Amino acid sequence: MLAAVEARRLVKEARRRAGLTQAQLAERVGTTQSAIARLEAGGTEPSLSRVDVLIRACGLSLAVELDDRPPVDPDEWDRALRNLDLSVEERLQNVVAAARFIAAGRRSRAVR
Amino acid sequence: MSATFDPTAVLRVLAEHEVRFVLIGGIAAAIHGSPYVTTDIDVTPLVARENLDRLSEALRALDARIRTEGVDGGLPFAHDAESLLRSTIWNLTTKHGDVDLVLVPAGTAGYDDLVRDSERLEILGVEVRVASLADVVRSKAAAGREKDRLQLPLLRRLLDETS
Repeated sequence: MLAAVEARRLVKEARRRAGLTQAQLAERVGTTQSAIARLEAGGTEPSLSRVDVLIRACGLSLAVELDDRPPVDPDEWDRALRNLDLSVEERLQNVVAAARFIAAGRRSRAVR
Repeated sequence: MSATFDPTAVLRVLAEHEVRFVLIGGIAAAIHGSPYVTTDIDVTPLVARENLDRLSEALRALDARIRTEGVDGGLPFAHDAESLLRSTIWNLTTKHGDVDLVLVPAGTAGYDDLVRDSERLEILGVEVRVASLADVVRSKAAAGREKDRLQLPLLRRLLDETS
């Protein structure tokens, strides 16, 4: 079984990259649009081979590899979650402010 | 970065010149919620003669120069639609900060690939197409640079949480 969240993301991304609707993908693999919608909503946990079939139907292939995924720094994750509460403009302004501060720091001279 | 970093001003000039492009890289990631700071703006233009003509005009308006370490303000360069096609990536510095033109970002097939899943947003009065977080992650994973590798776990988690 593949974690529902991964399967959902992979199939949705493959379908979008192929420019297919859920109904078109469903037709290619002989299932229903609602089954694809359920999978993309995380309502089912398909097998790896089923995900592979769906991705191939989008003209892509699934590459699986072992990954030493390092843990996400909790402080950085908190900042990301706080960002999600901001508007797009506020997110951009935060980046610009930080980038400007860094640039100013690089140009600055040491104070004695 | 020698000029004051102002991504909105860069985007405004591109929009005023009717350049078709997708915003990618660190700024796109930040728009999707990434907490990582970036000091340049990455754009992928549509590779079509007329669009590259407009892009070249926009670059003139931005006073774009080739970004080179040790040369403050960059090196002047002549450009037009044809010459912009001679490289797939242009690292530039402009009067509004550093800009990377990336015709074909790693792991993608360029504008047509990115625009499909992009979002059209109005940011501070400028309409911009922003690459999806999935495509930003795809590109960073394929690029394989150390700074990207370090950001990927959080970006992937963000993708899982928001998709």
